[in-house]
Amino acid sequence: MNSIVSVSSISKKYQLPPTKKLVSDSIINKIFTKNKFEEYWAVKDISFNLNKGDKLGIIGNNGAGKSTLLKILSKITKPTTGKIDIQGKVASLLEVGTGFHPELSGRDNIYLNGAILGMSKKQITQQFDEIVEFAGDQIIKFLDTPVKRYSSGMYVRLGFAISAHLDPDILIVDEVLAVGDADFQKKSLGKMKEVASKEKTILFVSHNLTAVANLCNKTLHLEKGCVKQFGETGEVLNNYLSAMQNNLLLQNYDDINSAPGNELVRLKYAKLTPSLIENQLIADVRSSLKIDLEFWNLIDNQNLNISLHIYASTGECIFNVGTVPELLQRGIVQASLTIPSYFLNDGNYLVSFMVVKDKSIVLYNFEEVFNFEIADYREETTWYGKWPGYVRPQFDFPIQQVSQKL
Amino acid sequence: MMSFFSTSRIIQVGNNLELLFILAKRDISVRYKQTILGIVWAIIKPIATMLVFLFAFKNVSNIHDLGGYPIQLVIFSGILFWNFFANAFQFSSNSILTNSNLVSKVYFPRIIIPLSAISVPFIDFLVGFFIYFILSYSLNYSISYTILFLPVAFFFLLLFSLGLGLIFSSFAIRHRDFLQIIPLIVQYGFFITPIIYTSNEIISKSWFKYYLLINPLVGLVEFFRFSLIKGYHILSFFDFFISCALSLIVFILGLVIFKFKEDTFVDHL
Repeated sequence: MNSIVSVSSISKKYQLPPTKKLVSDSIINKIFTKNKFEEYWAVKDISFNLNKGDKLGIIGNNGAGKSTLLKILSKITKPTTGKIDIQGKVASLLEVGTGFHPELSGRDNIYLNGAILGMSKKQITQQFDEIVEFAGDQIIKFLDTPVKRYSSGMYVRLGFAISAHLDPDILIVDEVLAVGDADFQKKSLGKMKEVASKEKTILFVSHNLTAVANLCNKTLHLEKGCVKQFGETGEVLNNYLSAMQNNLLLQNYDDINSAPGNELVRLKYAKLTPSLIENQLIADVRSSLKIDLEFWNLIDNQNLNISLHIYASTGECIFNVGTVPELLQRGIVQASLTIPSYFLNDGNYLVSFMVVKDKSIVLYNFEEVFNFEIADYREETTWYGKWPGYVRPQFDFPIQQVSQKL
Repeated sequence: MMSFFSTSRIIQVGNNLELLFILAKRDISVRYKQTILGIVWAIIKPIATMLVFLFAFKNVSNIHDLGGYPIQLVIFSGILFWNFFANAFQFSSNSILTNSNLVSKVYFPRIIIPLSAISVPFIDFLVGFFIYFILSYSLNYSISYTILFLPVAFFFLLLFSLGLGLIFSSFAIRHRDFLQIIPLIVQYGFFITPIIYTSNEIISKSWFKYYLLINPLVGLVEFFRFSLIKGYHILSFFDFFISCALSLIVFILGLVIFKFKEDTFVDHL
């Protein structure tokens, strides 16, 4: 069978500038030294083939090279080495509403964005009403208003509506599912599935493994710019998940002198253990998380407590929890904490803790003790957008019909 | 291998042309958004510049004509010429950077961006040209048959401005130093090119024939005036030809450099 997308050993090299210096210094450097740039391979030696109708999911951690690969595939940038052969019309959606001009009206922006994405004027005119309808009733009233006056929701809906009406042979998508409110997400996912059911080839980057499992027949797992695995989705996802689980969340120090800390306290042991139920390979929203900490206390007679912070990967502190202060002697001190299941939402989190004396003096702040990920888990869902928020509580929230009269 | 004239290729070229026009339309319609006077600004700006120089020449320096031609026409045509050059050069040089959101998110032939950037100076030029006609008639200076050369002169001006813009935009993406040079060229070039004077004033200098080879704008502006102002003929056709040929070379050079660099623009944005 003929491949519609054939990628043979593409690599992309970036040059990172050396550490920043003064202007005069950098000119002198440029004249007298050669090639002080540091090389960095964003993707390296990637090869795969897709047949017509294949839906490829591309997964991997941040910095694995997913975005670079998408940029190369959509011809935005050229690979340093290697060859790509794509048969047919390509549309890439790396962003919703690319090229929207804030000063122009919604109507003008539909034409502008459509043209940028490769639609002809005729195609846009034919589908204009459909696009507007898809974007929602609210847009109709504001069609001749500059989009700078749109709410961010309207802006995104209009952007998605246009891209949903593209008709390419090959579609390259970067997490655009995660747009708009829940209602609109349902609609866009429906549209994606409708598109997917056609004879269309899709390349789809996502952090959302559930969505990949549902939409894609093939998966490419990238790690540090290289192909970790390429194959059937089920197989690749299983290996990906078990690899994540092997990533032990453990710090253990035998030598008191080289352990992190200072002359007052040093870290001895820290472990994060998620509870896993049957078949579960990695921590997800159903898991409770047990944190065990041990540190060496090097001074006698201190009134100490631990204050632990959990941060989202974006840097916000999710919560801070502390132990009660305890009068402690030289030696090893131990503390443990359990975060219940259905507490943290899916995402990446950082844990740090500090040892505090007399409730106010920080003896040492152990930063980034753990860095862990919680996967999403949903049962019988039809919606795969990112679940909003940092916490994912399951409160009792009953709903019932009280009357059948209107 | 797809043949050059296959249907899909023609459709693609058609779509690219549409994109070019829609980007040009975007720039034009955004240009005077939220102004009361709108396109009238395209009239006010060159007239204001001309009035300033008229004041300086007539009242300060006591100069009343330039090489025997009406001072208003010489200056206004010069300003018209220069404004197009300056804006087309500047806009096209900056265009890739100002449209970096497009360049980093979608693929289409990059040349569309600097090409569409010329639309705004082009509209300004058309408006200014119309004003020139009014001015010319109000001074009882009719237009002669030489106006037929105007499209030719303008075409080479366009090639030169765009060619220079392509060169600068290609290099400015990696080294922003080039963006610092542009205002210098636009500012000082205005005075070292016969814009508010004619070549008559410098033609006798020994370096003039070399100068013509370095600065194609000299020949171009005189060619431009030759087509606009009745009886204006300071440089020879051969000089015009040299400047046009140089402009063509600059344009081709710009295309080659741009083509060579466009694949990696996004890596340096």
